[in-house]
Amino acid sequence: MPKSWIAANLEYKKAGYELLSYLATREGRLHATWLNPVDREQKDVSTQVVDNHFPSLTRQLPEVAWDEREIHDLFGYRPEGHPDLRPLIRTPRWPHDFYPLRTRSNIPPQWLDVEPDNPAKTVTGDGITIMKVGPTHAGIIESGHFVFSLIGENVLYLDAHLFQNHRGVELLLEDRTIEDVRRIVSRICAGDSVSHQTNWALAVETLARWTAEPPLALRRIILLECERVLSHLNDLAQIPAGVGFQRAHQLALAIKEYWQQGLKRLFGHRFLFDTVRPGEAAATTPDDLGALVRELRRRWVPWRRLVEAHHGFNDRMAGVGIVKPQDVTRFGAQGVVARAAGKALDARSILPLYDDMAVQFIQESAGDVKARFYVRVAELEESLRLLEESARRLRRWGSNDSSPFIEDPSDLSGRTVTFTESPHGLNVHDITLARGRVTRYHIRAGTYRNWPLLAHTVPGNAVADFPLINKSFELCYSCVDR
Amino acid sequence: MSHFKHALQIRHVDAGSCNGCEQELTALTSQAYDWQRFGLDIVASARHADALLVTGPTSDTMARPLTHVFNAIASPKIRIAFGDCAAGCGVFENAYAVHSQRQRSDLVIRGCPPDPEQALDALRNWMQRSRDSADGEIPRPIPNDHDQGSQEAD
Ligand code: SF4
Repeated sequence: MPKSWIAANLEYKKAGYELLSYLATREGRLHATWLNPVDREQKDVSTQVVDNHFPSLTRQLPEVAWDEREIHDLFGYRPEGHPDLRPLIRTPRWPHDFYPLRTRSNIPPQWLDVEPDNPAKTVTGDGITIMKVGPTHAGIIESGHFVFSLIGENVLYLDAHLFQNHRGVELLLEDRTIEDVRRIVSRICAGDSVSHQTNWALAVETLARWTAEPPLALRRIILLECERVLSHLNDLAQIPAGVGFQRAHQLALAIKEYWQQGLKRLFGHRFLFDTVRPGEAAATTPDDLGALVRELRRRWVPWRRLVEAHHGFNDRMAGVGIVKPQDVTRFGAQGVVARAAGKALDARSILPLYDDMAVQFIQESAGDVKARFYVRVAELEESLRLLEESARRLRRWGSNDSSPFIEDPSDLSGRTVTFTESPHGLNVHDITLARGRVTRYHIRAGTYRNWPLLAHTVPGNAVADFPLINKSFELCYSCVDR
Repeated sequence: MSHFKHALQIRHVDAGSCNGCEQELTALTSQAYDWQRFGLDIVASARHADALLVTGPTSDTMARPLTHVFNAIASPKIRIAFGDCAAGCGVFENAYAVHSQRQRSDLVIRGCPPDPEQALDALRNWMQRSRDSADGEIPRPIPNDHDQGSQEAD
């Protein structure tokens, strides 16, 4: 049996499937859920944990290295044969018998009275310097701890310690009623909030065997694309900041501010929190949406000209932080990072929601900072086009509303795996309900698999390139740390 | 002479936020709100700071680093809670790795995330009260209705 667990998973990987979720349950089941991007079928491979042990997939399937460490930390199930079982989320402050997802207790344990630092992996030898950054930072950034091994100016090795912001969100969601889940899911990550909300809504609707009719689907597309514009504007503003190109940084922030004020006016929130729920989504009018996008374009076009014409900026981005195509496959990379290195995966091409939108998918091949920058530029413009098309459809359809979500949600049971393309990649929720309450809620955010790839990409670059590479990946912490 | 009359230099620490509060802080520094006009700024070191500004509900892993930063700030100093999470009334409050026994904050700016304009008003009002206090004391904290108990004056 263990053999078939490994073999079956490898088979799907080789056949070009995407790993959606690697789920552990407190009953000792493991599920790997694979998605066929062509026929959209999901396949579930499952095994049983025996005596708290299970065969590790990591040696053959390096992209799950963190998933298995996480399962080890939170459930105490040991992946046999894992090459690096250091704690990922746990810290020396955790009592040795505290496995929150197994014991299912939201009550904080008696934390041990020590510092939270886990041992770092470094390179030793003559002339090597160790540089530690974080977890608190000199600017306005989320918390992460990075340990660099340097020789002169060059990075030899980067050990990234995330999960500084681990709060216990997955367990916090358990036992909640459907109404109760919404506010938390909305706040898993400010950069990808609509995507998270949509995953939750799709899950409830799937279990209720209810499908959103075109007007509601269109409202969700509008919100998802508005979020993509917002997030890409933020990320595009940060990359120039990484090289001190203040003018482009400040101007992009000004465009973003304009966009956020518009979102607040149209949908009631600057980050679109609490705009999507099962059976519903915030609505706007075609005139308001059309005007918002038109004005954004007026501000955007000069900015695009400014950054494109700046040779110093473009030269600085070229050839830095190169992601190789084989690493995209090996690490299971997602989102802009993968598409800038030649991978043709955008979950919008698989999602029924987008079926009649004819999305233009963007791809680059160089895999460097510059490619990631320009993939975002092109994707932002494509989102604007989709929003303009949506405004036209809204006008054509008038305000005929979808049928209301009538299913009594207090009785829903079952497991479902839903996903959307967040601004940061394939965002997956693996949700189990029993009689209208959550019994397991697993979140695999778009950037989870990109973090180990970032750590792998930085060595070989100068240490001064790190801020630039980091900002071009623009990975979230909150939805990874949970 | 009252403290923080004309400037408040701030060290920011994220203690488990969703990044919404961070993005609004960045907006405050940008040309749209340009809080430097009022003597407000984010500084790179605790040694340069008058205030610690916290976002997020305080995850266990960030609790110690947060304390280290506050201890590294020279007195007189204040603690600012930015956003509902830091104010102790956010959505993550009852998670197992969140420290809900909150620390007293001198200034609590509510919102999820706080609206930049309102946040700027709150900061300026606080500085005004600091200017007005004749005896040079740091203004007493404004009671936060969701957070009684942890708000007793010292
Ligand atoms: S207060 Fe709201 S926006 Fe700020 S960190 Fe908490 S959830 Fe995010």
